[in-house]
Amino acid sequence: MSAPALSARGLARHYGGVAALRGVDLDLAPGEIRGLIGPNGAGKSTLVDVLSGRAPGSAGSVRLFGQDITGLGPAARRHAGLARSFQRTSIFPALPVGAQLELAARRVGATDAPRLLEELDLARLAAVPAQETAYGDQRRLDLALALVGPPRVLLLDEPAAGLTAEESLALADRLRELARARGVTVLLVEHDMEVVFRICERITVLELGAILAEGTPQEIRRHPEVVRAYLGSAAA
Amino acid sequence: MSGAGRIGAGALAAAAAGPAIAALVPPGVLLSLLVQACIYAILALSVGVLARQNGMVSFGHAAMFGAGAYLAGIGLGAPGQLPAEVALLLAVLAVTAVCFGLGLIVVRVHGIAFAMLTLALGQACFEAANKARGVTGGADGLTVALPREIFGLPAATFQRAEGMFLIAWLAMVALAALAALLARSRFGLLTEAIRENEERARFLGYGTVLPRAAVFALSGGIAAAGGVLYVLYNGFVSPETVHWSVSGSALIMALLGGTRTAWGPLAGAAVYFLLREQLVEVTERWLGLLGILLVLVMVFLPDGLSGLPRRLRRPRGAEA
Repeated sequence: MSAPALSARGLARHYGGVAALRGVDLDLAPGEIRGLIGPNGAGKSTLVDVLSGRAPGSAGSVRLFGQDITGLGPAARRHAGLARSFQRTSIFPALPVGAQLELAARRVGATDAPRLLEELDLARLAAVPAQETAYGDQRRLDLALALVGPPRVLLLDEPAAGLTAEESLALADRLRELARARGVTVLLVEHDMEVVFRICERITVLELGAILAEGTPQEIRRHPEVVRAYLGSAAA
Repeated sequence: MSGAGRIGAGALAAAAAGPAIAALVPPGVLLSLLVQACIYAILALSVGVLARQNGMVSFGHAAMFGAGAYLAGIGLGAPGQLPAEVALLLAVLAVTAVCFGLGLIVVRVHGIAFAMLTLALGQACFEAANKARGVTGGADGLTVALPREIFGLPAATFQRAEGMFLIAWLAMVALAALAALLARSRFGLLTEAIRENEERARFLGYGTVLPRAAVFALSGGIAAAGGVLYVLYNGFVSPETVHWSVSGSALIMALLGGTRTAWGPLAGAAVYFLLREQLVEVTERWLGLLGILLVLVMVFLPDGLSGLPRRLRRPRGAEA
């Protein structure tokens, strides 16, 4: 049996006396798109931060295709094949869109920057400084910076935040196509349930820093604890 | 024409303008002022390079400028030890190397804290120059006797405004071209990206400390080159050269001219020196007037004087 694409064991993270993560175990199968949902303060972004090396865990380990990356910093994790995007758009505002993709591609020896620009409808903006583009373009650029390579595992922290419902669904469809075509494993944190249920094969639900439930979208929709804690009766 | 080609052509045109200016300006106070402006323009350029590539404001670059001047002076004053040319090059290289080592530590500090750190380091160098009498001459300064020839030129060439203007002008143009090429290079793109969003650069797989330290070192090396020219022209260097007020003046020049382009700080230095010369005739409080000008430039031209052409090209209301 092959190793999980991303595996976390006993991940914990404390802020002073507050436990943001309490012994989280997580396994992502290669190529899967996993949703990570939960109410505000559940620890979703903290989990992504610890998985990506942005924040140190208080306990636990992280493995990428069997390789222990627990002690690695963000740059080393990117070289190992783990990339991420951020909840707030994280790009290089003054730099042209195309130059940003080239910069990202060069570091990992990738040649897919021009194709990615086309696929994310950014080619027409290649020479334009990112700060002069529309918000939706900036969100797609953010996604492109994380997808270039491609990485083996991609952590996306609310990629559809701030987009209209129509833009969110279009981004979700594009993301699913790109991830499948490239064989990228994705962990998607998202509050927009339409997006999550549309593209995720499995969903993990966090509450108060611990895993409340895990299953297919259908199972999660019907899970009484998830309905109570997060989705509400309308989702059932 | 490619970007590098444009920079090369611009640098050649600017270099060719040097002899023309020298021919138009009669030897005297004005030419001597232009020599000083060129030398301090190099210091302003070094501050501008750091601001543009690293987004960092330094209040301590006079220390690099002064260190270059002192080291060159000490090297030149040790007869029979080193050829003068080697001593001058070593002065620049030594400052660059020390700045790289220092940069590995200080570039981890950001914003106001970095500015204060450079101020503290600069003043520490000022104190060291004052106290180390045996090496620096202390408060009396260090008088430097030039050898008969340097780089095949008679020493007098370096100490007369007619000769030194051309040397300082060419050095200034060459260093500005180097800074412009750096900004257009892959390395320049990386440092600008780190300046814009250091965390994202790390998550793209880049280490961010080494490139920032390299820019700090390059910036220090440029300042040291200015210091070497300073000591060659004046034959003297004192702790006043290292004082924070010199760093402050260089920062004012860089901000006046703007740091978005390599030539901005050079324009700022020219405006600073020419204005100072005029304002000194009008009032003792010329610094106050200069301060008002700086405020006006910052409010109406945040990119400095070099941002003016870009602003004029942009259609009205485009910034909104």
